[in-house]
Amino acid sequence: MASQTQEFFVDMTCEGCSGAVTRILEKQKANGVNSFQIDLPNKKVFIDSSLPVEDLLATLQKSKKEVKYIGPKA
Amino acid sequence: SDRKELDIAIGGMTCASCVNSIEGGMKKVEGIYNASVTLTTGRGRFVFNPKLITPEKIAEEVEDMGFDASVIG
Repeated sequence: MASQTQEFFVDMTCEGCSGAVTRILEKQKANGVNSFQIDLPNKKVFIDSSLPVEDLLATLQKSKKEVKYIGPKA
Repeated sequence: SDRKELDIAIGGMTCASCVNSIEGGMKKVEGIYNASVTLTTGRGRFVFNPKLITPEKIAEEVEDMGFDASVIG
């Protein structure tokens, strides 16, 4: 499956929260996450990966924050 | 007794919502009875059942949430 950038809403409120999401995604770089960007003010996370969305959702949900899948980035 | 207390140094928290998500998340972990985290000291106090979960596993759960965790004792 080709890798694609997927857009998620993650209810992050501060650097600590975005820092936590960053660490969680860093750990996933070994298995399938190519790169990611975090837009704290808009509570958005963009993940470039070949993994299925369900896996990415499960990864983001480890932060115990509210997570919603928005869609592939245009 | 099957209730023990554990202190863990937690790194990477900067606001109350980090504290809330750690406390809320950790209380759902099997074997953990209570979790209270103090932002200013960066410490988490966990009351747990040693038969169900180990200190290392508790620290691992915190790290799984994206924070640094080291067992103080």
